[in-house]
Amino acid sequence: MSNKITTIISHEYITKVKSKGFIIGTLLGPIFLLLLIVIPGLVAYLSRDATSKKIAIVDKTEYGIGSKIVALDTAKYYISNETPEILRQKVLSGESDGFIVIDENVVRNGEAFVYTSGGGGIGFITSLENNIGNIVKVKQLKDAGATDSILKLMDKPFKIKTYRLTEKGEQKDFTEIYAALGYFLGFVIYFLMFMYGSFVSRGVIEEKANRIVEVIASSAKPFEIMMGKVIGIGLVGLTQIAVWIAIAFVGVVLAGTFFSGSISPEQIAQMQQQPFANTGGMMHIAGMEIPTISPWLIIGFIYYFLAGYFIFATLFAAVGSAVDQEQDAAQLQTPITLPIIIPILLIFNVISDPDGTLAIVLSLIPFFTPILMTVRIAATQVPLWQIITSVVLTIATFYGCLIVASRIYRVGILMYGKKPTFKDLLKWFKNAK
Amino acid sequence: MNVLEVKNVVKKFGNYAASNNVSFEVEGGQIFGLLGPNGAGKTTLIRMINNILMPDEGEIHIFGEKLYPEQQNRFGYLPEERGLYKKLKVIEQIVYFARLKGLTKHDAIDRAHHWLKKLGANGWENKKIQELSKGMQQKIQFITTVLHSPELIILDEPFSGFDPINTELIKSILLELRSQGKTIILSTHVMSQVEELCDNICMINKGKVVLQGKVSEIKSSYGRNHLIVEFSGDGGFIEKLKNVEILNRTNSRVEMKLLDSNINTNEIIKIITDSVQITRFDLSLPTMHEIFIDTVAKQRESNEQ
Repeated sequence: MSNKITTIISHEYITKVKSKGFIIGTLLGPIFLLLLIVIPGLVAYLSRDATSKKIAIVDKTEYGIGSKIVALDTAKYYISNETPEILRQKVLSGESDGFIVIDENVVRNGEAFVYTSGGGGIGFITSLENNIGNIVKVKQLKDAGATDSILKLMDKPFKIKTYRLTEKGEQKDFTEIYAALGYFLGFVIYFLMFMYGSFVSRGVIEEKANRIVEVIASSAKPFEIMMGKVIGIGLVGLTQIAVWIAIAFVGVVLAGTFFSGSISPEQIAQMQQQPFANTGGMMHIAGMEIPTISPWLIIGFIYYFLAGYFIFATLFAAVGSAVDQEQDAAQLQTPITLPIIIPILLIFNVISDPDGTLAIVLSLIPFFTPILMTVRIAATQVPLWQIITSVVLTIATFYGCLIVASRIYRVGILMYGKKPTFKDLLKWFKNAK
Repeated sequence: MNVLEVKNVVKKFGNYAASNNVSFEVEGGQIFGLLGPNGAGKTTLIRMINNILMPDEGEIHIFGEKLYPEQQNRFGYLPEERGLYKKLKVIEQIVYFARLKGLTKHDAIDRAHHWLKKLGANGWENKKIQELSKGMQQKIQFITTVLHSPELIILDEPFSGFDPINTELIKSILLELRSQGKTIILSTHVMSQVEELCDNICMINKGKVVLQGKVSEIKSSYGRNHLIVEFSGDGGFIEKLKNVEILNRTNSRVEMKLLDSNINTNEIIKIITDSVQITRFDLSLPTMHEIFIDTVAKQRESNEQ
């Protein structure tokens, strides 16, 4: 590599890594990401049964179903002796949220009637169905002659325990956790490609708008200027990922220590020596079972991030070179951002059947590979031929993008004035030899 | 020896020829003026000399060799539109551009201190570019152009944005660089600076060379045909003068070009003294300013015919 390109790479890298934005982003990024993932789950979990409604129960039966329901959640239900007409008035005036009428036929028909001022949400309905349904079901079974031991059997939930067969023998499988991990890593790659891609395009636009690029072009070749920027910012991305992996590792160790309460220093030392050993197995922290992360997953994640970044960053650089200011870039960027967004929309299809034909085909489309292949290598055992094919295809695609982008870049950086169209870009590409 | 030779260079953008068969030479160790009206194709030419653009046809030779990228380290280029990273510190900015020209970081820092001092900018090292005034930024840009002691310095409007004091400072530095044997190509619209600084010029209009040579020779080739008369009295005599072109006229002053080089100035004086009293009679060489306007006007006429 020439001296010039290394000078440009180190300039791009150092100014970015020293910036406040990078330091804050690197340290707060994991917290932010965690919140982004945890909060929707938490909200869903809390809102599952968190209807703040107060419901009156009008019990017309003699088996005391109403009081059993109240016993389930005294904060939510109460027995009312008022007539339906009065309750209706109360609901309409907003005094009460609603009422349930349980008539004599509830056991025979399996039906109850709920009156509210409207809606209440799925969580509300589901909780009512579960609460009343269970009690009615028990009554129905008892009436049919079920004994207490049969009723107990009913309560016992059914579970599937999955095991993964490997050459080392049977291991406990964490399919769901690995799928979630794939989903998470796919999103991280999506986020990183977008963020670092726009760093590249913003940097190119800044240099063009401030007429810096003409000074640099009198010192280095346009190709060196573009690649120096792309590589420098890519290294910033790698640095960030390295810090995040380190934080994650320390976090897992600390969490293990925290949960176990007591952990011997020997155990910590042992863990530190072999953090990701026992491929495909699990990590034991003080008796807890945690699915381990294979080093191949980390390598794959880094490769697919780099592949995606380099493919899209060169294209972002080309678009940046074509415009005079950032506001003009949005329209030209659409064809680049679409292939980044589409795989995110397909991520669920791939996770639900990561070994299916659809998943295989989609993950081998080079523009989709960075996100979808990462999802797959986390969620399942991807055959080696598919990995190799994806590597070859992404490298070839990067090479093609590089040729197109560097030609547009060379012409674009010196063009000012009119906002270019795709036709102009095509013309530049053809004319640049 | 010629430091720069531009040979039959053609550069087209679509159907428009920004350079249409341009040829000129620049001798080493002199200040060379590259002139021309706006849109004449100067910037395109300068970019080709800097190896930023490639000519479609023709060749550019620098230091006796056909231009190649590695020669860029021996050039210093100050573009018309200045460009610095707003968020960098002065010293970081200077060092980055110097390293791109092949200097080591250590060398660059040493020289930066020297130049900042020389331009009265010592102590600016750790200021951010965006904190500087336009004139101050201009000085930093100038330093980045000359820091790596380039043998060929290309300056596009180097004085714009400078007050008269700083303009004199930069002028003296240019003359100093010339005395060190550096070659300077100066592109400017201010003709008085051309007369002051340039040894040779090349004037371009509509992509073509329309005038070139030594400044002194160009001026004398026009002859002593520039006449300024100052007088007190009625200016009616001016209409009686023949074979002159009035350039500028006020109540007590008239500036004119003599169209016939064999004209007898005594005749003119006679006509004038008949009606008014002369306070100044000055027959001189034309200014570069006039030559510039004259050349552009002539080309426009010949195009219209």
